[in-house]
Amino acid sequence: MIKFDSVSKIYKGDLPVLEDINLEIQEGEFISIVGQSGSGKSTLLKLIYAEEMATTGEVHFNNSLLNNISRRKLPHHRRNIGTIFQDFKLLERKTVYENVAYALEVAGASNEEITENVPQILEIVGLGGKMKKYPHQLSGGEQQKVAIARALVHTPMVIVADEPTGNLDPKSSMEIMQLLIRINSLGTTVVLASHDKFIVDKVNRRVLLLENGRIIDDCAKGKYKNIADCARGKNKTS
Amino acid sequence: MFLTITRTFKEAIKNFIRNGWLSIATVSILIMLLYILSVFFIITSIVNDVLKETQDKVDISISFQSDISEQSILEVKNELEKFSEIKSVTYVSKEQALENFKKSSTLRPIILQTLDVLGSNPLLNALVIKANDVNQYQLISEYIKKAPFNNKVSRTNYDEHKDAINKLNYIIAVIKKIGTALGLFFTIISLLITFNAIRITIYTHKQEVEIMRLVGASNSFIRMPFIFEGVIYGVVSSIFSMLILFISIKFITPYVSSVVPTSNLVGFYLSNFWSLLGGQILLGSLLGVIGSIIAMQKYLKV
Repeated sequence: MIKFDSVSKIYKGDLPVLEDINLEIQEGEFISIVGQSGSGKSTLLKLIYAEEMATTGEVHFNNSLLNNISRRKLPHHRRNIGTIFQDFKLLERKTVYENVAYALEVAGASNEEITENVPQILEIVGLGGKMKKYPHQLSGGEQQKVAIARALVHTPMVIVADEPTGNLDPKSSMEIMQLLIRINSLGTTVVLASHDKFIVDKVNRRVLLLENGRIIDDCAKGKYKNIADCARGKNKTS
Repeated sequence: MFLTITRTFKEAIKNFIRNGWLSIATVSILIMLLYILSVFFIITSIVNDVLKETQDKVDISISFQSDISEQSILEVKNELEKFSEIKSVTYVSKEQALENFKKSSTLRPIILQTLDVLGSNPLLNALVIKANDVNQYQLISEYIKKAPFNNKVSRTNYDEHKDAINKLNYIIAVIKKIGTALGLFFTIISLLITFNAIRITIYTHKQEVEIMRLVGASNSFIRMPFIFEGVIYGVVSSIFSMLILFISIKFITPYVSSVVPTSNLVGFYLSNFWSLLGGQILLGSLLGVIGSIIAMQKYLKV
């Protein structure tokens, strides 16, 4: 569904952030991209939701090329993807309910769809009682749940999560990860970037290790600590 | 389409209210701008009226010697009317002049009595000339002095009025210059301030715009509420500005009418209410909208 073909990304006058990335992500997969800060994880995700464009090579999403996607088509592309970030990126001036509803409004959903789906999805993430609160009235974990609800509400094909637990305590982190795993088990593809080995181990699915912009390892069923084993041939994907 | 418009409108109103202090600050600045410009507009039109009235009162009259027939005076009148500088020439017979004089001197009965005692009319037949522009009287007077009919003229009152006319000319010129300079100055400064205030208001939503883009909102979907917000700024500010304008006019009227008795500020306000309000809404919204668009361009990467 997502395909990187010899992709490199170089920011103007700088060293390459990503180099020669070849990667294929299948529908329904849960893939964790790990690596240190600056290894290119975020940039790789940005190429998926077309916030950045590849310098060389091709990025395909659902059989369409993203390299020079037009401004007109970009919003439509984004509606296929739910994004979750370390800093939540909620609209501060909107309530929990409105934040989630916004993702439906931009896609032109009817008022009926909104009044039906939004409370439902907030119930699922466990925030049914806080729909009228503003983001600043919530804890970090709760804010991230709002972000997840927003990412999910328009039933996207892929959830892209960039360090979703980076600002959270271990308990909240676990809750968020459980939510993501559950979402994945219902069929949505999840692409997770993280340097937190604890949560990556918890997922215990495909792991991709990035270092200095290159893919070092790609394990079908990896744990952070045994990626080295993977390098020696265990559990390696084709 | 309809759904988008109603959503956009609701969104804009919500944003306006939730912005709280930022909205109040922006609206205040906009009110100030609109108020200053309206005050300036009112002052300009009143000064113009007063000047025009004063200018209209200015004329010069040529009095003819008593043995000159009405016929030849009317010939001179025809002659004078050919000049483009001259707006009107009116023949005033001495009987008429006496009549006018009696009317205007009702407060001085002694003079009237004197006239009665005199029995005869001491005044002369005259032509009253009004020029198109006050500073043309000099020219007209010079022409009359050199004109072939000058030997029939007993006297012109230009020389008596000369100083007053020149002074008036000077004052008009100065007022116009100062007015234009002040007007330009105020307009430019307040436009810049307002414009900037609106841009700052939008800039604070930088992150908001980025998030909206990430969620898949199209540029127009993001931009429309901000543009509507700009319109709301314009409308709200205009209403307040009109209100403050009315209060200050009420307050200032007694002082103004003691200086310029003919002025009617409240009347002016009321008769120009809709054009004042309309102009303000138009200008206010325009600033709001342009400010929003420019600020948004930056974040929408269009």
